[in-house]
Amino acid sequence: MVTQLQSALQGEITPEIEQVARQEGVTPEFIRQGVAGGSIVIPRNRNRDGIVPVAIGAGLKTKVSASVGLYGSTCNIAMEVAKIKAAVQAGTNAIMDLSVSGDIDAMRKETLAATPTPVGTLPLYQALAEAAEKYGSTTKMEEEALFDVIERQAAAGVDFLALHCGTTMDVVERAKKEGRIDPLVSYGGSHLIGWMVHNQRENPLYENYDRVLEIARKYDVTVSLADGMRPGCLADSLDGAQVQELVILGEMVRRAKEAGVQVMVKGPGHVPVNQLKATVTLQKSLCKGAPYFVFGPVVTDIAAGYDHISAAVGGAISAWAGAEFLCYVTAAEHLGLPGVEEVREGVIAALIAAHASDLAKNIPGAAQWDLEISRARKELNWEKQIELAIDPERAGKLKKERSGDSSAGCAMCGKYCAMEVVSGYLGTSKHNC
Amino acid sequence: MTQVLAARSGQITPEMEAVAARENMDVELIRAGVAAGTIVIPKNKNRKSVNPCGIGQGLRIKVNALIGTSSDREDLEMEKRKLIIAQNAGCDTFMDLSTGGDIDGMRRLTLSTVNVPVGCVPVYQAAIDAIEKRGSIVAMQEDDIFAAVEKQAAAGMDFMAIHSALNFDVLKPLQWKGRVADIVSRGGAFLTGWMLHNQRENPLYEQFDRLLAILGEYDVTLSVGDAIRPGAVADSLDEAQLRGLAVAGELVERAREAGVQVMVEGPGHVPMHHVESTMLLQKRLCNNAPYFVLGTLATDVAPGYDHITAAIGGALAGAAGVDFICYVTPAEHLGLPTEEDVKEGVIAARIAAHAADIARGNKQALERDLQMAKARVAMDVDKQISLSIDPDKSRQALEEEKGDKHCALCGPDCAAQVAAKYFGIA
Repeated sequence: MVTQLQSALQGEITPEIEQVARQEGVTPEFIRQGVAGGSIVIPRNRNRDGIVPVAIGAGLKTKVSASVGLYGSTCNIAMEVAKIKAAVQAGTNAIMDLSVSGDIDAMRKETLAATPTPVGTLPLYQALAEAAEKYGSTTKMEEEALFDVIERQAAAGVDFLALHCGTTMDVVERAKKEGRIDPLVSYGGSHLIGWMVHNQRENPLYENYDRVLEIARKYDVTVSLADGMRPGCLADSLDGAQVQELVILGEMVRRAKEAGVQVMVKGPGHVPVNQLKATVTLQKSLCKGAPYFVFGPVVTDIAAGYDHISAAVGGAISAWAGAEFLCYVTAAEHLGLPGVEEVREGVIAALIAAHASDLAKNIPGAAQWDLEISRARKELNWEKQIELAIDPERAGKLKKERSGDSSAGCAMCGKYCAMEVVSGYLGTSKHNC
Repeated sequence: MTQVLAARSGQITPEMEAVAARENMDVELIRAGVAAGTIVIPKNKNRKSVNPCGIGQGLRIKVNALIGTSSDREDLEMEKRKLIIAQNAGCDTFMDLSTGGDIDGMRRLTLSTVNVPVGCVPVYQAAIDAIEKRGSIVAMQEDDIFAAVEKQAAAGMDFMAIHSALNFDVLKPLQWKGRVADIVSRGGAFLTGWMLHNQRENPLYEQFDRLLAILGEYDVTLSVGDAIRPGAVADSLDEAQLRGLAVAGELVERAREAGVQVMVEGPGHVPMHHVESTMLLQKRLCNNAPYFVLGTLATDVAPGYDHITAAIGGALAGAAGVDFICYVTPAEHLGLPTEEDVKEGVIAARIAAHAADIARGNKQALERDLQMAKARVAMDVDKQISLSIDPDKSRQALEEEKGDKHCALCGPDCAAQVAAKYFGIA
């Protein structure tokens, strides 16, 4: 059995390629070339049935991922499934199950069942959790157990796996030497570093990367190369540790492609507005055009409670600069765990960022959506405006609540609607003022 | 003497001193900026007890909130609550855009409730008065408009949005080829209707010197209103907008000659790839006058979330040189904002402004984020709360977490703790 990448290299148009080409409004050949060249991935595990394939990469609509998962004693599976449903309904293109505790196998099963699109996981979390349970400490995780979990999750049908393959001892030492403000940002990265330091061993995901690739190829799992050194504050953005890890990830991208494994790269984090474009350009250059999956990025450290907004700013600018996949950030980031409503808002904020960037990049179909809603606005056609809104439910609700008592169509200007006043003179309708 | 005339004569006013202190800058830089017209300090001679606020090049980006009554809601108490909420949320200025009920009373309430600069759009009141007294907006008399400007200036308004950069020449492209959303500025719409109905040139353009005389007398800062701002991304940077901007540039020069402080208002709906060009064009054509933008909104498709589309555009615009951001609330395009919408709008605009300040290298902004990062590493919850953009919201969430230094997984014997010790932060 060959992977999507291997088929594409052989010139074959797979059913997945056909389907995503229709969804994107591009030719199957465009997708095939992108997959073959590594600028597009179609994360779809061979063992996963009945999903809508999603393509992520250059020239395509920017995609959004929402993260859920069991974390600590306050979480339960039913609650996380409710979040998945809310995220899917809001329009997320993928779900990541980032469970770190509890019944991780059961949660993954539920996630795969509840998500109609690609699902990603982070196997290191489960390996750490099982080590903690078995030996009382995450520092005692065994390498073999880590690869067992990777295989188990791949066999279960997970479409993309986030793996910290580039967080090497060298990178960790640089972070220490240069005095990173916040060296422990990524949950997986922090534990992995602790394990490496405690055991005085190199990162097994780096040392045994071929083993990772072998499993990924077997199930056609897309590897998402996670960064242990993503900046956790603006001051750490584009520091030596981050860039050094990115250089290593570029090498990992090349090896994945050579092995016939689809691969993308995960990134920031906290990034100031003036470094977003450079960050994406560096990734594109070092990783030879592999899709870039960015967390946020948030553009300031101080917006706790509103980090979905901060992330929408960073996500829009990053995607415009070339990132193709946005991991949402919720309003609960830096404060606690998100509830269902925060998950929904997080997805919408990321979708807004994605669409704003598609508009700026002139992705097929993007401008048409704006044109249609603006025409409906000009016609004061409320039904159509609500229907075309990115979140029709909320738009309808706010319209009702904020204009419910209005004598006119909209309470914003009430009787003095600018559109109405002017169309009387510029348009064909009779003036009335 | 206006601030700009004082600055040109080399005089350092108390307002310049106050602005310099707040921005942590040399007062001579403020004076030079005011003299050159790259900085304005909106403060009416008749306005007492207001914190002077500098807007322009080299300064922290400022955020404006809109409040006011409308034909559908004349609830002064609610507007008062919004004023207090928005001021507490950290907005730098207000505009009172009242069009309903007791407009004079609302203005007095605004000026007495807040201690920041307040602006207005006098043509609204002139138009509403015309409907009441003369039966329609198009029956409004030229003198009515100037009387409204004079009345509001005498009342103490610190800045005024006045749609002078609108004339028949600007309107021509709209008549020739139309636009997706035509005119979405309410003041612009009133004046356009008046002009086309009466077949008369815009009095605020034609009698611009008369306007300047009033503004100069009270040291009201002129905010050249953008009657033609794009109301759809498809209309951004079209011929009408650029004609309007060129006229605004002429008016900036004339205001400066008359010793009147002046800034320029702009967009609206602007796709991200137009933002930098829009800012550059304004700075070029208006000779670096401070730029005051609504949003900008990066897409048309997100009613219910336009505080977010505006945060995206505002951050980009700020990084590209915008000096003053007008907030957009989640109720935009759908109705009138509630108190909660107003707060969300102010915070979203402040996030955009702050992110842009950082991009521009503002030292105070950079330092605040650095302190926050250090407080997070040190798990200093109190400091995280006080440094956050909305301390109340952070306090509610974080106080529960106090003292819990371990991750959800394993407690004290945790790999992440080992890593923390390695980096010397445990």
